[in-house]
Amino acid sequence: MRCQARTTTHVTGCLDEPPNGNHETFLKVAEVRNSCHTTAMRPSLRLLNLEVSSLQGSRTLYVCSVCRQEARPRPLVARQFLRNASNATPITERVRRKIWGTDNPPGLKDPYGGEGVLERKFKKDQPARQEEEPENLAQTSEQTQVENEAELASAEAYEPATTWEGLQRVGHLGRWSDLPPSEADAYESFMLKKKVTKKGQLSLAAHQAAVEVSLMHSLNKPLSKVCDVVEHDKSVFKMLWKCKIQPGEWKQAVVYPSKEAEKALVYIFEQIGGQPESAVAEETAEEVEEAVDESKWEDLVAEVNDSNVPFFGYADVRDKGFLSLSLSDPATKFAFLKRFSQLSGHYLPDPVVHSVATVGQVVEYVQSVLNPKPKKLADYLANSQGLQNLPNVKVFTKKQKPMDRDEELGRKKVIEAELRSRGLIDQKCKRYQH
Amino acid sequence: MKRLQLQRWSSSVLSPRARTGGRLQQHLYYNLRRQSTVSPAPQAENEPLFEEQSLNSSTHIPQSSHFKYLLPSPPVEAARESAKLAALHARLYLPSRLPLETLARSLVDASADSNPNFNNEALATLGNDLLSHYTSEHLVCTYPRLPLTVIFAAMYAYVGPKSLAAMAKEWGVEMAAVPGGEVDPGLLQFKRVLPGTDVNAGPVTGTERPNEHRKSWRKSMTSRVVYDNEYGDPVGVSGESATPESQNTQGVTAEHANATFVRAVMGAIYLHAGRPAAKRFFEQHFLSRHLNISDLFNFSQPARDLSRLCARENFEPPVAKIISETGRKSRHPVFVVGIFSGQDKLGEGAGASLLEARSRAAVAALKGWYLYSPLNVRVPSSMEEEGAAPWKPVHVDLGEVIV
Repeated sequence: MRCQARTTTHVTGCLDEPPNGNHETFLKVAEVRNSCHTTAMRPSLRLLNLEVSSLQGSRTLYVCSVCRQEARPRPLVARQFLRNASNATPITERVRRKIWGTDNPPGLKDPYGGEGVLERKFKKDQPARQEEEPENLAQTSEQTQVENEAELASAEAYEPATTWEGLQRVGHLGRWSDLPPSEADAYESFMLKKKVTKKGQLSLAAHQAAVEVSLMHSLNKPLSKVCDVVEHDKSVFKMLWKCKIQPGEWKQAVVYPSKEAEKALVYIFEQIGGQPESAVAEETAEEVEEAVDESKWEDLVAEVNDSNVPFFGYADVRDKGFLSLSLSDPATKFAFLKRFSQLSGHYLPDPVVHSVATVGQVVEYVQSVLNPKPKKLADYLANSQGLQNLPNVKVFTKKQKPMDRDEELGRKKVIEAELRSRGLIDQKCKRYQH
Repeated sequence: MKRLQLQRWSSSVLSPRARTGGRLQQHLYYNLRRQSTVSPAPQAENEPLFEEQSLNSSTHIPQSSHFKYLLPSPPVEAARESAKLAALHARLYLPSRLPLETLARSLVDASADSNPNFNNEALATLGNDLLSHYTSEHLVCTYPRLPLTVIFAAMYAYVGPKSLAAMAKEWGVEMAAVPGGEVDPGLLQFKRVLPGTDVNAGPVTGTERPNEHRKSWRKSMTSRVVYDNEYGDPVGVSGESATPESQNTQGVTAEHANATFVRAVMGAIYLHAGRPAAKRFFEQHFLSRHLNISDLFNFSQPARDLSRLCARENFEPPVAKIISETGRKSRHPVFVVGIFSGQDKLGEGAGASLLEARSRAAVAALKGWYLYSPLNVRVPSSMEEEGAAPWKPVHVDLGEVIV
């Protein structure tokens, strides 16, 4: 339809009689029309053209008379390329055969990229319609009959309502806030609501995550399951806190403070993420202990609720061994970062996740995010400890103007007094401005 | 020799004394102004430079910028904030025991701040005495036969006001345009002389020399030792020891202020860091300056002086002899004449005529005599050091010949 859109204005002129004494314009318009028609009549475009016009026939776009003639949907049978529709060989194939002079011309069977849209449509529709039509007719007649009956029945039972009472309520009519909250409405964030900002607490989070992930490693359990337990009991946390990390393999990284702690931690972490058989077998033996734990746990919960301090008030880690743990294994890295972000509330963007190689770098990155560099150079210089310690360097937060130089040399007051005596500055004006 | 407790001295010098009276303006801020170097006595030997900050903070007075304008010189607390001052301290390689506050005080001339607790007058007086003492003993012990005029000239060249002003300029000390409380304490502050003022207008009066009014009378060199200053110049009341009031109104020259600053630095080092540091500073900054003393001589009749000298020292009378000559008949003859006293050749000189060559030879002989310098010179002040070797009297000659 490109030609229509472009030449509409000209073609309006050409439809009417050419105005007297204006032959030139008429000729020009005719040229334009010819050119547009020649472009439109390229055989490859012709198919498209026809097809589109047939599809959009209902649209009331203005089309010039010639174009309309061409664009009018014609009976498919009348088309040239369908003249021998019953033939097995399409026209393109026949043309090729004629060009090459053989029945088996080289090259692709159809160099034009398969059948045209209309051919395909014609092929598809033709047999299907022939089969479906009698059935469809029968079905539709049945359906219409049923519908008519139902309509008649409902029309008899219909009783117009006078009040809204008793009417079926669809949706909540804009008053969803009155409805009681459902389970789906409650949202619990995966990460901490408040981000951890202190350096020691960040280290604590990283340490805990490292210990837990390496524990899962040593227990051969799915690593990401550590996130199932958002916050451990205080006694468990204390045991985790006391664990040291030996840099090296994740499996042998944890150094337990004592045998009992090792047993307890292994027992606890066996339970995380589905209970294996061994744990189930031992369950009876440990029930008593568990009961004791529970009683403890209740006390501790109360404490925690009172204080609500992250990491139970622990300020910093005991050793820094976890910082050099490697995150080269993607699964370990993912599990560690997931647990770390759950504990610390800090989200790590993908490029950083890709680039970090050790636990130390993760902690470093979060700290750099927490303490961003000042944007102004003056602030940066004024805050830099190295420059502050230098006695012979003075950093001004403001730009030093000639006025400041004058004041430093002591001549500002003289200039001011002189200007004032001559009445060049206001008496009330405290300082002269450059 | 027992060492004196300099720190106690310095406290007496630096502490604000009770003031009997003063102008109203001074009274306004006098009660608020404090010297932070009041008690340097408890300072340890190797204490860092910035130890005194705690002391400052205790005596810190909250000050508005308006208050600063009322002060005649920068407040003491400003010394810690001045980058110029710290840079000067480091540039001069001053001992760390000399606090920045004292350095700032040595930059305040008496013409800027007439309060003796805040200007450098006392420090400069001490420093001037030290400088003259060290220079004169160095000159006399190194060249025991120098004539008095040459000693005066050499003194002037070593520690005279012109040299000191040049040194202050070399140290990179900049001068404030007008003194005041808002001025950077790293700038030299003094009240300038009004343009067009003749500095050396009137004759020097008030010296203790008898018959001072007799302008035409000859002043002997020897009398200058007694009546005049260390450079042989007359010193009067209108000169250096003028009253502060007159200085305050008139102002001082930049040269004078710079010289006073250098002297004050010397005095400050002596007070805070002790004698060895002061002596080291003197050697590094003053004696290290090259001075060709043989250029300071000026003989009018060298041959006569030499014959008098030989007569005084019981040498044989000097005889001039031609050692070599060339081109006697030419346009440019050269004679080389030697002066002999008996078998010893005292000096040798070359000249275009026989007389010129002879007088050059006599000058060479006289310089050879006067510029004698003993080996391993020891000055009397070296006895002040700990564990110094017993003093052996140095040789000091009779002096010049008096014709």
